[in-house]
Amino acid sequence: MNLVRAELERLGARRFVQLMLVLLVLAFGVTAATTLAGSHRPTPAELADAQMQAAEQRRQLEETYQRCVARERGVLPEAEAEAYYPEDCAPLDPGQMERLPVAADFLFGVFTFAVEARPLLYFLIAFLVLFGFLVGASYIGADLNSGGVVNLLLWRPRRLTVLGVKLGTLLGGVALLSVLASAAYLATFWFIGQVAGQAGRLDTEFWRSLGAIWGRGMLLVLLATATGFAIATLGRHTSAALGAVAGYAVVWELGARLVLEILDVRRPDQYMLSSYVGAWLTGRLRLWDEHLCANGFCDGIWTLTWEPALAVLLTLSGGLTVAAFAVFRRRDLM
Amino acid sequence: MSAVIEIEGLRKTFHTLRHGRRVAVDGFDLLVEAGQIHGFLGPNGSGKTTTLRALLGLVRADDGRMTVLGERSPDHLPRVAGRVGAIVESPQFFGNFTAHRTLRLLARAGGVPTTRVDAVLEQVGLRDRGRERVKGYSLGMKQRLAVASALLKDPELLILDEPANGLDPGGIREMRDLMRSLAAAGVTVLVSSHILAEIQLICDHVTIISRGRRVAAGRVDEVLAGFDRHEFLVRVGDPARAAQLLGEAGLTVTGHDDHLVVSDVDDPTRISRTLGEQGLWVGELSPLRPDLESVFLELTGTSTHPTLPRQVDDSVLPDRGPRTAMIDLDAEGVDA
Repeated sequence: MNLVRAELERLGARRFVQLMLVLLVLAFGVTAATTLAGSHRPTPAELADAQMQAAEQRRQLEETYQRCVARERGVLPEAEAEAYYPEDCAPLDPGQMERLPVAADFLFGVFTFAVEARPLLYFLIAFLVLFGFLVGASYIGADLNSGGVVNLLLWRPRRLTVLGVKLGTLLGGVALLSVLASAAYLATFWFIGQVAGQAGRLDTEFWRSLGAIWGRGMLLVLLATATGFAIATLGRHTSAALGAVAGYAVVWELGARLVLEILDVRRPDQYMLSSYVGAWLTGRLRLWDEHLCANGFCDGIWTLTWEPALAVLLTLSGGLTVAAFAVFRRRDLM
Repeated sequence: MSAVIEIEGLRKTFHTLRHGRRVAVDGFDLLVEAGQIHGFLGPNGSGKTTTLRALLGLVRADDGRMTVLGERSPDHLPRVAGRVGAIVESPQFFGNFTAHRTLRLLARAGGVPTTRVDAVLEQVGLRDRGRERVKGYSLGMKQRLAVASALLKDPELLILDEPANGLDPGGIREMRDLMRSLAAAGVTVLVSSHILAEIQLICDHVTIISRGRRVAAGRVDEVLAGFDRHEFLVRVGDPARAAQLLGEAGLTVTGHDDHLVVSDVDDPTRISRTLGEQGLWVGELSPLRPDLESVFLELTGTSTHPTLPRQVDDSVLPDRGPRTAMIDLDAEGVDA
């Protein structure tokens, strides 16, 4: 417990952590201020007009679908038969669409929390992932490089305990910060929606969906934190983690993607970590590959779901962490 | 006396892709008994720091047996870690932390009352600078902070690697006094240093290492006695004639610019009598006792060459075979 308290104090006292917190608050403040400045409460006339436009668009979608179905049944009037309809009408069915037009889509200069909450949360998660990775890497990297770990081991000569407490404290700290930051962030924008925009439709489905994204985002933040910590431990330096990420992005995500495309490899996205990050965060990622359509007509769409994405991310992060502990256990500390 | 540190047959080889295999410690033995201030000497790269790091569990030994306060190291080191204070090489600290915070964090991590922090800062002379950031400290102040961190546990055994590094003459003297007072209070001290005069002043026992192997060990005065050639410096009006007379009397004489050195002299009155009987009056007759520096340089083969710069691996590689090849006065019972 003493070691945890000491590590928590050490983590909080680090300049880099403080700098990242300031950046988080700054990004948060700038986003909130610009949103507040660019939004106004809709007048009843604006609202009525937007609702009318949304209803009109929903009606048009329904009409198009009904024509397509009529074409399928062969009962479409000849005058309308020239219009293009797909072979399969299901994609046109408004009932199967992920999202139908709503009034908020036609309100300009009005912040609608229900519409904007999701992209705002993605932005926060992206920042927290970056925060977790960099803080995780620098926390152990600076300690290994400066001799802080050696000092600590002279006091507590149990390597796995010391490294485990460091990782545990780090993950606990980042988790706590992430929960507090996301609660403050969403509450602030909800409040902006209430006073300078509109809340939108905040039903159970909305909160369930937002909660799922938040939960997956928090796990991603923790995995990124553990990965940064593990790579810096393996490389004995913060820059090892930064170099590994930069190297991976350039060599694999850019270079190898080009090579795979030149070689006409099917579904090259399945070899990219970014695909699994996206699939995990969104729950379901739709990707396109022209090679899937080689033997006839198809839309070339394939889907990556969160289950394999979670397996890949856990394997990668867990594998690196286990390797870091195994190497640290036997390493000569000079 | 009970052994506080025992090392037998310690071996450590480093392997790197670039430089291949490098033997750092090669069958090294060390014995430090309770209450000693034990000097640990060796040229640069001789294996001192590797030995201390292996003893403290920071470097994994390839072979050998080590105990600290009766517990096997590194496996059972946690059992006695609270009784051992140590600094190895030049310890680094977070520059943005104050000395006070640095020590408080260590105390908390080690389960030591944080009230000790002020006491040790005062002990090492940092009482009035303890609230300043470490990045503003000089090398000597950082060294004092390192010693303070080692003292925080109120240790029974203190292991100090180059504690005088970066200290000014006043600081070196304070460090010497601190070690003496700790030893007087019953703390066993193992100290490695390059400042041989300091070691000779404060240490009662010494172990010398060269290229990973022990070349001498025992009480400081007895190690020095082993190198005493019973030499005397003689100043006389006519050195050439004096040399001739002493040579005729069966003594070994070496001439220098303004004096003579006479070796293997059991009784110095023999010199004054031989010269006096021939009307040569001795201006100075003084014994030449070996000091730790000369013994160290001789044992490790690290004397300077007049024309060639010495390289770090140019020290003597001692014979690993029979133990008699080494000067081990404790083992040979000279202590008794």
